[in-house]
This record gives sequence, C-alpha cells and structure tokens, in this order.
Amino acid sequence: MGKTADLLPGTLDMLILKAVSLKPLHGYGVLLRIRQISKEALDIPQGSLYPALYRLEHQGLILAEWGESDNKRKAKYYTLTQAGRKRLREEAAGWNRLAAAIAAALDATPDEV
Amino acid sequence: MLTRLRVLLKPLFRRHRFEEDLAEELRLHVDTYADDLERSGIPRAEAVRRARLEFGGVESVREDCREARGLRLLDELRQDVRYAVRVMARTPVFTAAAILSLALGIGANTAIFSVMDAVLLRMLPVEHPEQLHFLAHGTGDNPGLSSTYPLFERYRRDLDVFSGITAYNIQEFKVSSAEGSDLVNGQFVAGNFHSVVGVPLVLGRGFSSEPDQPNDSSYVVVITEGFWTRRFGRDPDVIGKRLAVNGKQVTVIGVTGAGFDGLRPGRPLDITLPIALKMVEDPEFAGRHDTWTGLNIVGRLKRGVEDGQAVAAVDTVFRGYMSDPAQDWVKRDGRLPDGLSIGRLMPAGKGTGALRQQYDLALRALMGMVAVFLLIACANVANLMLARASTRVKEVAVRISVGAGRARLVRQFLTETVLLAIVGGAVGLLVSLWATTAIVTLFRAGQMPVVLEAEINARVLAFTGAVSLLTGIVCGLVPSLKATRVDIAPTLKENSTGSAGTGRRLLPAGKVLAMCQVASCILLIAWTGLLVRTFQNLKTLDAGFQKDGVLLFYLDTRGSEAQVCTLYGGLLDRLQALPGVRAAAVSTASPLATDSEERGIRIPGLAEEARARTAVTNRITPDYLFTVGIRVLRGRGVTAQDSAAGPKVALINEALARAYFPDSDPLGMTFSFMSAPNDPVTIVGIVQDTRHRNLREPAPRMAYVPLAQAEEPPGLLTAVVRTAQDPRSHEAAVRDTVRHVSPDLVISYVRTLEEQVDASLVRERVLAALSTGFGVLALVLACVGLYGVVSYGVTRRAREIGIRIALGAQRAALQWQVIRETLTVSAAGIIIGLIAALVTTNLVSAFLFGLSPRDPFTLVASVLVLLATSLVAAYLPARRAAAIDPIRVLKTE
Repeated sequence: MGKTADLLPGTLDMLILKAVSLKPLHGYGVLLRIRQISKEALDIPQGSLYPALYRLEHQGLILAEWGESDNKRKAKYYTLTQAGRKRLREEAAGWNRLAAAIAAALDATPDEV
Repeated sequence: MLTRLRVLLKPLFRRHRFEEDLAEELRLHVDTYADDLERSGIPRAEAVRRARLEFGGVESVREDCREARGLRLLDELRQDVRYAVRVMARTPVFTAAAILSLALGIGANTAIFSVMDAVLLRMLPVEHPEQLHFLAHGTGDNPGLSSTYPLFERYRRDLDVFSGITAYNIQEFKVSSAEGSDLVNGQFVAGNFHSVVGVPLVLGRGFSSEPDQPNDSSYVVVITEGFWTRRFGRDPDVIGKRLAVNGKQVTVIGVTGAGFDGLRPGRPLDITLPIALKMVEDPEFAGRHDTWTGLNIVGRLKRGVEDGQAVAAVDTVFRGYMSDPAQDWVKRDGRLPDGLSIGRLMPAGKGTGALRQQYDLALRALMGMVAVFLLIACANVANLMLARASTRVKEVAVRISVGAGRARLVRQFLTETVLLAIVGGAVGLLVSLWATTAIVTLFRAGQMPVVLEAEINARVLAFTGAVSLLTGIVCGLVPSLKATRVDIAPTLKENSTGSAGTGRRLLPAGKVLAMCQVASCILLIAWTGLLVRTFQNLKTLDAGFQKDGVLLFYLDTRGSEAQVCTLYGGLLDRLQALPGVRAAAVSTASPLATDSEERGIRIPGLAEEARARTAVTNRITPDYLFTVGIRVLRGRGVTAQDSAAGPKVALINEALARAYFPDSDPLGMTFSFMSAPNDPVTIVGIVQDTRHRNLREPAPRMAYVPLAQAEEPPGLLTAVVRTAQDPRSHEAAVRDTVRHVSPDLVISYVRTLEEQVDASLVRERVLAALSTGFGVLALVLACVGLYGVVSYGVTRRAREIGIRIALGAQRAALQWQVIRETLTVSAAGIIIGLIAALVTTNLVSAFLFGLSPRDPFTLVASVLVLLATSLVAAYLPARRAAAIDPIRVLKTE
C-alpha cells in the first residue's frame, strides 16, 4: 500500500457514490474500488464504510440487492439510484469548484497580489 | 417511490431479517478480506485475526448501521416503553390515579370538543360544501337571508359566477293519514335544489331541474332518512308511495341520506316539496315582491371565481333589484334600510348559523373551562410523578454516573408520562362517549329539540391524540427536569433510601404545582358559582306572567278557516268544562315562544320617525290574560263583546304606554296598525309588562287585540289552559276534547308554560350543569393533589417528626403545623386564583344575568369551598404525622 491521504469530512459519501456508479458492488468491493480508482491514495476506515452505506440507502441514493459474490457467497450489492446519480453530479461539481479555487489560491504569486 | 418506501419501512417491520442481513454482510466483508490477506502470503489464522482487528468492533459498526437507518431511536423508544410499563405495573395505585386524572381531563376536553365539532365546525354532508354560499344582503354579522322569488329569478338570470343557484323555504307541513294528522318539518325548494346543493340520496332521485311551474309532475316529495325510518320503517319500496301533505296527495320519489337535514343544522328536516307546489297553494307567490320571508337563496360558486368578484356581482344584481319601483314600499324617506342596501355572500358550507351563533360563545367558554380542568389534572399527575421521582433519585444518579446523558433520561421520563397520557386519553375517549351523550341530552331537553350528532370522528380523534400527547409532555416536563438534576456524589454516598438529600429541593416544585391547582380550581369554582347563580336568577325572575299550572299547545286550523272563531268558541267552552281546568284561551303568541309578530303602528298626533313605531302584537280570546296570569293594571281586558262587528279595541302594556304615551293617559286614545292605517283601534286597557322573546331582554312594547277582530284568520294558534293541578295530567283529556271538536284540528307541541320558559334557558342550563360537573371534579382532583403533596411531605419528614415527638413536642401542635402548611399553600393558590378570576371577568360576563362578574358572594363562597377542601386534604396526613411512633421511625434508620 502506498502513502494514503486522510479523507476530508463529507467526501466519503461522494466516493461511495462514485464507486457504485461504475458497477454494482458489495461493501468490500466498494472499499477495493475506491482504493483502486484513487490510485491507492485513499484508504477508507473499514468501520465507517457500512454505516455510510446504510445511511445512503436510507436516503434513497443507493439501492441494495442480494446477489452472489465472486467466491459464490451471498452478498449484498449496491447500485446507484436516479437520486444518487443526481447527488453525485452535484457533489462532484461542488468538489471540483472547491478544488480549483483552492488550487488557484495556492498558486498565487506575489506579483498577482 | 414504492421502492423508497420499502427501504424505509422494511427494517421497522422485519427487524429480525434486518439484523441477520447486517450480520451476514459484515461477515462476508471480514471473510473476503481475510481471503485476500491469505492470498498475499499471510497464514490463514493470522489473516483472519488481522482482518477482524482492522475491521474494528463489529458491534459498534452494527449499532452505527442501525442508527444510520433510523433504528436507534426506535430501539430506545422500545426500551423506554418497556421500562415505563414495568414501572407502571409496579405501582398500580399510582398508575391508576394518574390514568384516572388524565382520563377525566382528556375525556372532558374530548366531549366538549366533539359537541363543538358538531355545532361549530362540521360541514354539511353534501358535495363540496365549501363552494356553497348564501346570497344574502345587509351589513354586519347578521346579514339577511330572506328573499323574494323574483329576486331569486333575477339572480339566476343575471349571475354567471355560480355554477348553480337554488332556493328553499323552510316551513311546517301537515301530514295526514288514517291515524290522524301530524305537523312535520319541511321545506319547499326550487327544482334544481338537489343537484345544486349536491344532496346525498339513499333511494330514488331528487327533483328535476325544470322551471318551477306547477304541473302534474309537481306532486312529488323527497323525504329524509329520519322520516323514512320513523314513518315508513325504512321500507325499501317506499318510492311511489303516497303521502297527504297539507291536503294534497304527493308521491315519494326519493330518500336523502347521510345525515342530511337541510341547510339548517340543529333542527330536524322531514320532507322536501317542490316550490311549484307552494305556487299551487299561493298562486301569486312567484310574482310577489313584498314578501321577504323564509325564502333563502344559495348558490354554488364556480371553481376559480374569486370571492370578491362574486360579492361584487351579487351586489350589483341586488341593487338593481332594489331600485325596482316595486321595492319602494320598504324605503323610509326615500332610502333603503341598512339591511336591504347591499347584496353580499355568506358561506353556506355549514348551513345557516342560528345554532352556531347561539352556542358559539358558550362552547368556547366551556372549552376554556375544560382546558383549566385538564391543567388541574396535569398538575396532579406531575405532582405524583415528582413524588415518585424522589424515590428514584438513586437510580438516576447511578445511570448518570455510568454515562447516560441527561437528555436521554429526560426522554425516558417523558416516555412514561406520555404513555400514561395516551392510556389516559384512550380511557378518556370512553369517558367522553358517555359525557357527550349526557351533554347532547342536555341540549335536547328544550322544547324545540336541538338535533346534535356529536360523534367521535377523525377530527375528534386527532384532537384527543394531540391533547394526550401534549398533556403527557406537560405533565412530564417539570418532574423529569427536576428528577434528573441530581448531585451524583452525595446521593450515591448516602446509604438509606436516598431521598433525604434531594427531597428538600423537590418539595417546592410540588408545592408550586399544588398552588397552581388550587388557583385553577378557584377560577373554575368561581365561574361555576356565577353561572349557577345566573341560571337561578333567570329561573326565579318575575317575568310578568305565572308560569306554573299552564298547559299550551299549537292548533293548526289551516283547511278549516271559515269557522275558526266559532270553532274556538266551542272548543274553549268544552275545555273550560273539563274537571280541574280553570280557564282556557287561544292566542297567536305566548310568552317565550320562539315566534312573535312585531307590527308597525301609527299613533295619531305623533310625527313619523325614521324608525317605525312597532308593537309586538298578540291576538287573544277573552280569558287569555287570566289564563297566563298577566294582570290588567287599568281599564279592562278583552271581553266576549269585542266581536268582529264591535268597535276595534286593543290593550297595551306598560312599556308601550311609556314609550309612545309618555305625557298622556293612553286609555281611550287610538292608534292604527300600518297594515290597516284607516282602521283605528281604541286603547281600553293597560296590562303588566311581560318578558316575551327571552328572559334577559326587558319587556318589549306589546299590544293585545281581540282574536275575533283579526283582519284575516290566522292559521296557527296557541291554545293555553290553566289547570288546578299538574298541567301535564290534563294532557290526555285536552287532546280528546280537541279531537272531539274537530278531527281536522292538528294539535302539536304540547308543553307546559314552565317547560317553555325552561326551553329558553337551554344555554344557561347547559353551562350551569356542565360547569358544576367540572367544578366538582376539579375540587376532587385538587383535593387529591393537595393530599398527595402533604402526605408525601409527612412521609419524607417522618424522622424529623419522630425526633421532635421524642423530644416532647405536643402532638396537637404537630398536627396543626401540617394543617397550617397546607393552608399556606392553598391560601397562596387562592390569592392567585382570585386575581385570575378578577382579571378574566369579562370572559364570563356575557353569560351572566342579575349579578356582577365580581359578585362578592360567589367569590367568598368559592374561597370557603376551597379552604374546606384543603382542610379535608390535610386532615389525614396531619393525623398520621401526629401518630408517628418515634421509636419505630428512628429504628428504621
């Protein structure tokens, strides 16, 4: 495992939404997928993953269905709902705005002031 | 949407499944992670250990998941409820006392609310009642509803803001059958009435919306469910049956249902006839511009039409009609009276407002009373909770010390009181079922029965639910906040029952609550006293006539009008000949009957005024004044010589003499009625003033004229019979006599004059009876509450008292000390309550008669009652205090 960054508050939900937006996943799969798509940079504390999944399901952003895992075990698969897709779009846009703004701020040189 | 709902609800109902799924999901995670670790070369046992370790506490993750799904609150609620039920079961006496208090309080509120719902809130059982509006006229709170048929036609022709406009005219009808004739309540309606109003039908059909012109198909009748039940025994084949109404044969074509009683709530409706039949009875009716009686116009507003727009349209048409020369007769000095100057709309969704107006204020006052009553009950429960909380101080301290949040504990206490209140509310619903029946009976006791369908409907249930919940929170708030403010260390250190340390702080709250109870109680008792004395004042008022020993009934002579007077002659002779009957007479009015005829009069020599001079006129036979017990003060009464052929005479009462003959002796003077201006009548006697429309109003100006000299024979008369004994015992003989004289005469509404007077006091009686009931119950509750506080105080200080006895204190002195403390609490409450009573006097003053809202007698009496109650409450605990055995108390330490 490479160097991992701490998650900013509020980003976990967005990452989970992104992960399940690519393909239906079970809980452990979400963990792996986030690690993979963040180029191993983000590691989610395992204990906080499930409460987050349940919260998102309660909010109607993701949907859970029982299926079968790769190792032929009963597993709960999460998919993105319409509302979840909308939320992901909004959060991503918000995040990008924020990131761009911070990047711009940090890039500022004395000449520009 | 449905999936969403399933997601939200599934864990609530399939809790077991939810837990299993959660466990399975977490297990899969750990196992898969362990597999991955193993694959990277770590031995199986170590992989499993690390997987578990990294995952963290499974139980806390599960708890977080439950919370994420909103289940934790539910779990805690379930815990709290289970705990509360256990606590309640452990103290059955306490629980029963609390539930009983709350059941009485909530039950009283529910009962009054359901009556209020029936009188004030309920909409007519028709389609979209909120769209219905009366096309009324005049200004102020009391717009005129009566109209003429031509006005109705004009509205229908000229207005396009309504989807339909219809009219009805309520009156009584004579329904005859082989068994005899009956007067029933009915209405004539325009042909489109049933469709415009949207009347529910259980059988057959309503009238067809053809133009209102008499033809063969006009001889039809629609009956109400009540009449169908009473008259036809709910015969399913009633359609097509015939009925003789006012001497005409009509065919039943429909039965209305669902509690439809016309647009006059509170009064029964039996039959509905097409207005075309009224035109048969009275051919000029459709063209008459000068009869503004009885015909009410109601329209259904089109969707989307603004109220203001509709009002303007109605006003325009109304003014147009009133500018017609045909209406010049109502003008005074060329101007229309206020009541006929503008047209307007009145919501008709609840029907006409007579019943609402009569009881609106009274019901609000009652609602206020039961609210105060509920406060007393709440204080009782809060006090009981407080007392009990003190025995749980240690439990609370332990729980706080192991980390329970105060909010969590408060919630648990509240769960307990809310649960008590919900059970109390459920029992209260049962109480209210009984109470509502009793109240409705009180209303019905009048002669004109008020039909109230008070029922437990959704609105009432919602009210009860909300009140229960609120009650639970109110009861629980003070005790829970008090009880959870605990100093942990000293409480836990103490090894006895753990109440002494915090008890001193708990007591003042209890005393304050008891004080509030006494204050609320004195408020209720004072109101009760005022209302009861008002009722007594009115009952014993000298109204100017003698109400005992008089039987009266209506005689309907329509159909036999030609020989009315001779008929009455024969009838009265026979009635007077009955054993025990001292006198008999007929008249067109009687004291405190709801009908009275006010006629315009002209007095020669007096200039016309803007306001017409009027006199309430009663046409009487010679013995009327003697029969009803009205004294002739000067001159003479009506005699048999005052016949149709003789000179026209009249008697006037003192009020009329004072008003119109202030400076001269009216005896021998003349006046004339507006309706016959060239036919002067001579005043031959002056009679005593009598209350006429109701007991509160001073006597109106009245004129009595001989019935024999009436311009046209009236159809409906009142017969009065003075009897030596109980008038009711003569009822059968009187009925026989009437039937014997003529089977055509319809006799209805037999009552004694005393009952008629009582009927005018329904509101006063309802208020007095109900407030007395609430007052007594409030006293009992306050007594119990006070007893609880004092008794608890004695128990708490048993040790102190024991020591004082051991040191030689006088037992009588101890007893007095307890009583004195109780009296101090109630004295404080009494002072607060008195201030509240004096401040709120204007709330009740509208109901009072013959006494001031600050009536000292009532207030002093209330104080004495409360003091006596306090003494009763203090007596037992005081005796117990004095009887404490010092040795036993000190040993238990």
